[in-house]
Amino acid sequence: GASYSSLILGPAPDLTYHGALSCTISICSTTFSSCPLPDIGVGSQVPGPNCSILVATGRSSPTEEFSGDAVKDLMLRFLGEQAAVKRQVLNASSVEQSFVGLKQLINSKNWRAAVDLCGRLLTAHGQGYGKNGLPTNHTTDSLQLWFVRLALLVKLNLFQNAELEFEPFGNLDQPDLYYEYYPHVYPGRKGSMVPFSMRILHAELEQYLGNPQESLDRLHSMKTICTKILENLEQGLAEDGSMTNITQENTQASVELWRSRLGRVMYSMANCLLMMKDYVLAVDAYHTVIKYYPEQEPQLLSGIGRIFLQIGDIKTAEKYFQDVEKMSQKWDGLQYQIMVLMNRAFLHLGQNNFAEAHRAFTEILRIDPANAVANNNAAVCLLYLGKLKDSLRQLEGMVQQDPKHYLHESVLFNLTTMYELESSRSMQKKQALLEAVAVKEGDSFNTQCLKLG
Amino acid sequence: MDVNQPKQEHLLALKVMRLTKPTLFTNIPVTCEERDLPGDLLNQLMKDDPSTVKGAETLMLGEMLTLPQNFGNIFLGETFSSYISVHNDSNQVVKDILVKADLQTSSQRLNLSASSAAVAELKSDCCIDDVIHHEVKEIGTHILVCAVSYTTQTGEKMYFRKFFKFQVLKPLDVKTKFYNAETDEVFLEAQIQNITTSPMFMEKVSLEPSIMYNVAELNTVNKAGESVSTFGSRTYLQPMDTRQYLYCLKPKQEFAEKAGVIKGVTVIGKLDIVWKTNLGERGRLQTSQLQRMAPGYGDVRLSLETIPDTVNLEEPFDITCKITNCSERTMDLVLEMCNTNSIHWCGVSGRQLGKLHPSSSLHLALTLLSSVQGLQSVSGLRLMDTFLKRTYEYDDIAQVCVISSKVKEEH
Repeated sequence: GASYSSLILGPAPDLTYHGALSCTISICSTTFSSCPLPDIGVGSQVPGPNCSILVATGRSSPTEEFSGDAVKDLMLRFLGEQAAVKRQVLNASSVEQSFVGLKQLINSKNWRAAVDLCGRLLTAHGQGYGKNGLPTNHTTDSLQLWFVRLALLVKLNLFQNAELEFEPFGNLDQPDLYYEYYPHVYPGRKGSMVPFSMRILHAELEQYLGNPQESLDRLHSMKTICTKILENLEQGLAEDGSMTNITQENTQASVELWRSRLGRVMYSMANCLLMMKDYVLAVDAYHTVIKYYPEQEPQLLSGIGRIFLQIGDIKTAEKYFQDVEKMSQKWDGLQYQIMVLMNRAFLHLGQNNFAEAHRAFTEILRIDPANAVANNNAAVCLLYLGKLKDSLRQLEGMVQQDPKHYLHESVLFNLTTMYELESSRSMQKKQALLEAVAVKEGDSFNTQCLKLG
Repeated sequence: MDVNQPKQEHLLALKVMRLTKPTLFTNIPVTCEERDLPGDLLNQLMKDDPSTVKGAETLMLGEMLTLPQNFGNIFLGETFSSYISVHNDSNQVVKDILVKADLQTSSQRLNLSASSAAVAELKSDCCIDDVIHHEVKEIGTHILVCAVSYTTQTGEKMYFRKFFKFQVLKPLDVKTKFYNAETDEVFLEAQIQNITTSPMFMEKVSLEPSIMYNVAELNTVNKAGESVSTFGSRTYLQPMDTRQYLYCLKPKQEFAEKAGVIKGVTVIGKLDIVWKTNLGERGRLQTSQLQRMAPGYGDVRLSLETIPDTVNLEEPFDITCKITNCSERTMDLVLEMCNTNSIHWCGVSGRQLGKLHPSSSLHLALTLLSSVQGLQSVSGLRLMDTFLKRTYEYDDIAQVCVISSKVKEEH
């Protein structure tokens, strides 16, 4: 394994050497990358600058290896070594040591292995384990690898680890994260090399660590900058406010890009406010999101309806669901029909009518038999109607028929909860679930839902 | 949360699960742009995830229902719902199964079972299910007692019980304040605080008046024909939030006479509160009868019946007063009107009002004008009881807003 030494942010770059850069840096700190990223060739060697002149400002380093397989551990405990040996998952060594291999690991939900492969690929960039404090450079490639590693840590719910590895990057605006810092590598290019998605991740991470206010603050800064950039573009200037003679076409592309980024920021804000349980602001924020994602209007209005159901304001929830139903002119097709039925079912739940809710969820299964949500929810209703056995039959049927879709932690949580209610012999059935999981799921599977302790 | 009995091999197993409403599964969206290294990979993962909202995968609040994972809290006024399952763990058929569920509180024992009939037989691996509901009406310790009796294949009669203890907590803190108006009206301010751990939607807060009063609720305003709540868009109470509700109580005609004379404690009415939480989980509480201490009025009470809010400068306006004899003896009253700097009475001062018997009242119409602009206090009335040669002074009876007649009154 690697050891992690705390980052020491070095002194600011020597002003006399970087005198030429200092004024451009102040402009850059208010803009993000707007040019298309260069071809990403993983493992491309970056020519090193003259290290003796540059002051090392510290480098981030992968903290540790994350490989492991909770499913296999459980199998060893409960099913014995023979069964555990049969468990095969891809790990960082069993794929091509490139982005192709990385993609395989991500796709097959072996995210722990993927995190480790990122670490190895970063080593190739001189940013591997134990390389803290050594002079090295960021490139667009290496930053993308960092982004993938951090994104996967978040997907694995390893928020503390993600926070630790984000730390050396500060607020993502240090001078050595800008193109201008590497004039030999990126001659003439301006702006931040940090992927916009990485900034979103950096902002959203705080709420998962219990600091939603910090998330909001970061998102607000991003919103301000995106808005300023769009203003500049509208006035015919470049993104950073300087004069430019870029074509109308390219300006339009840039406007679309920044508009979609602003929309993504608004989406994050709305989600964050919801997590903070500031429902009034969250609802307003989701209304704003609709302006940026008009194609998601029915889903977002339905989501707002569900927020009111959670508060207990059934009447307002009903109003929102009715608004969605009135849109049948604008939307049609299977997805919309399902949405309408789903909303009706939820309204019945809010009115304490589990029988009608069950009927509505079953109605969805008639037009979309593979609908996981409708299946799960119909089974849940059966339990509230006193039909434990029927409910179990429905959920077990789901899991057996289509494990690819139904071995989801929310479904399994419900299943194991009902096993525990059914009899004192729930352990056997839970172990059977473990066997099913072992065949299908990667190393990222959250084994808590199996309730095997 | 169960207290087990000494171990004994039983063929049947009893399990209990509290059925609070399910919750919605939330997702953590992780996205990237096409130009990023993963390309469409992360977005595709979210699309394939069965728990995300199709077409809006970035939306955190999904549609997947999750069963409750723990007992949670239970509050007075809520409905306690529970699944009771008796499962035949053995490989033999069991006969004559009777399942009883009782709820034991500090004051009573209630039977909760839906059916009181015995089940003839229960095959191996089968179960008897029951869902019980009970509106909780007491605070404190409650014990759910489940008793199962059955007969084995060999004819042996078996019996076991399981106890499940839980606490019922107080959900709301209610404080009341009374304000006495110059007229016979009483304003009640009810402060309601949510002392649970989750947001509460206040569906209805109403005051059921006692027989003496009519009540008008002052918690909605009329905006363009619609009744809009004074709480605006904030329709719910977060934990520890407080709301103030206002009601105006007016004594009914037949009690109006009495109201002026009543001393001591009167019963005003009670508050009826209905709230909802997650997915429409309902709670309902009524306060005990709210009581108000009537203010002392002395021997003779002068109260206002009618007075305008706003009057014009130096223009006479009319008021009507009610004079009530709150003492035990008959009075012979003489009315005197004294002018102040701003108030000038019109009419004859020193006239006799006639005899007034105990507990009865008379109505008096008076005219006055104000010579000073602004909020003026009506003062300067004197009542003299000729029998006892006692004078009662009435100052600052009410306020009136005096405006210059050049300024048009805004309606």
